[in-house]
This record gives sequence, structure tokens and C-alpha cells, in this order.
Amino acid sequence: MVIDDSRAMRMILKRIVAKLNFEAVEAGDGQEALDLLSTMTEVPELALIDWNMPNMNGLEFVTKVRAEPRLREMTLVMVTTESEQSQIVRALAAGAHEYVIKPFTEGAMIEKLALLGLVPTGANS
Amino acid sequence: MSVETVVTEDDLAEMVEQVWASYLDPEGVSPLIPTADADQPTEVHSTVSITGTWHGHLVYASSMQAARKAAGAFLAMELDEVGQEDISDVLGELANIVGGNVKAMLPAGCFLSLPTVVLAPQTASYYPAAERISGLWGVWDGEPISISMWQSTKTGDNA
Repeated sequence: MVIDDSRAMRMILKRIVAKLNFEAVEAGDGQEALDLLSTMTEVPELALIDWNMPNMNGLEFVTKVRAEPRLREMTLVMVTTESEQSQIVRALAAGAHEYVIKPFTEGAMIEKLALLGLVPTGANS
Repeated sequence: MSVETVVTEDDLAEMVEQVWASYLDPEGVSPLIPTADADQPTEVHSTVSITGTWHGHLVYASSMQAARKAAGAFLAMELDEVGQEDISDVLGELANIVGGNVKAMLPAGCFLSLPTVVLAPQTASYYPAAERISGLWGVWDGEPISISMWQSTKTGDNA
């Protein structure tokens, strides 16, 4: 699942995860993502989440997902321009598993996902 | 506090280089070439505002052709397929990325707005009570691009 209010960034992220054989669904903000999740019978394995979005920001989304037992298995990765140490700590404390700062290269993103065990061996070669 | 002591033109240049390497020129064949021409014409611009312990704006501006090319590169589209919505979205994200990295270099306690994109010359937008304090000007495949920082001169100006 790719959650970002920028369609451009959603496309970039979808292209990357498609290379890893993920089928991506997308949402423009946290609330839209929660609404979408409530309709899905199968919980996505991974969510890439922007921080600054209208309606519901990424931190609120992470907090709500972590409070929902059905969504507990989702791997949550913040993908954001919020690069201060204090913000990273907040996101990880709220339940995000990883943190990627924009701008990022495709290779850097795949390396992060590899650290989470989400990349097949050799996918970034 | 003057932001010039915190975010230099070299810092802006480094951020822009990262943006180009990540999204606009990942092959490294078409970099942004600095011109130092602060008066080069632009046709579209995108702004994010920073509020909190520092007040001001980060403005990304370019020619329409450069904006179209950026959208094409970002969205993996042919230039003749790129529409205004694509340009607005990509320019907004570019300002957001650079603005977010600028914010990280400012005193703690700043907040970044969502981007505002105007498909009109930068002179069409007026930042009252703000002055340009830093900037980077260059050409990308011969098309003008600028990234500038504007600092509000009034405390509490959220514009």
C-alpha cells in the first residue's frame, strides 16, 4: 500500500514495489488508506507512508494501524521529508518499522526494504 | 536569527543535486547547471511555507518546458502526454522535498505547509512582508529553474 498525497510520489513508489513483485494499492491520505483497509479482506504486507498529508497525516495513520489488531502484521515504512531526529524517533515510537527520507533513490529504497526482509535475494542487482 | 547562517546556497545546491539524482536525472546525464542569474524568467512556481520558530517560504520556479520535463521524468511519461495536473503535482512534490530538507536545517519547532502550485510567473505571486534571502539559479537542458528562500520580515507572518 502506497499512501501519499502526491500522485507523482505514489507513482514512483508503485514503480519500485512493482519491481519487487508487490501489487500496490494507493491512497491519498491516512483516512483514505484506513477506509480502503476496512474493505480489504487481505491485509497488505507493506505500507509506504508519507507524513504530511491532508485529512489524516502519516503519524496518525501509523498510530491507528498499531491500535488495530487486524492490521498488526503490516510493515510500516515512513517515506517523508521530515528528517529531524525528533520526528524519526516519534514515528518509530508510534510503530513505524523503518524511515526513508525524501529524496531517495530506487536503490536506497530497495535496500531499506531488504533490511525488512521484503526483497527477494538479488532484486537490487 | 538569520537563516542565511543556517541554510546556505551550498546547502540548497546539495539538496537539489540529490533531487536530480533521485528523480529528474538518475542517469546523471542532464544536471542542473548553475547560472547565478537571479533575474532569469520563470513561468510556473511552487511554494511551501515554513512556520513556527522561523517564518518564510521555499519557492521552486521554472519555465513551463522545464516543468513539463520534470513531470515527464518523475511520472515516466512522454512530454506530449504531460498535462497541467501532472505538472502541478510534480512541482508541488519538488517544493515539498526541498522545503522539508530546508526545514530540517532550521531551528527546531518549524512546520511545513502543503505545497501551493501556480502555473504563472513568479511575479504573479507576491510574498508580502517577505524578502528573498537565498537562492539557486540554473538551467536544465537550457531551461531556467530557480529555488529560492524567502524570509518573512514580520514575526508571526504565516502567509
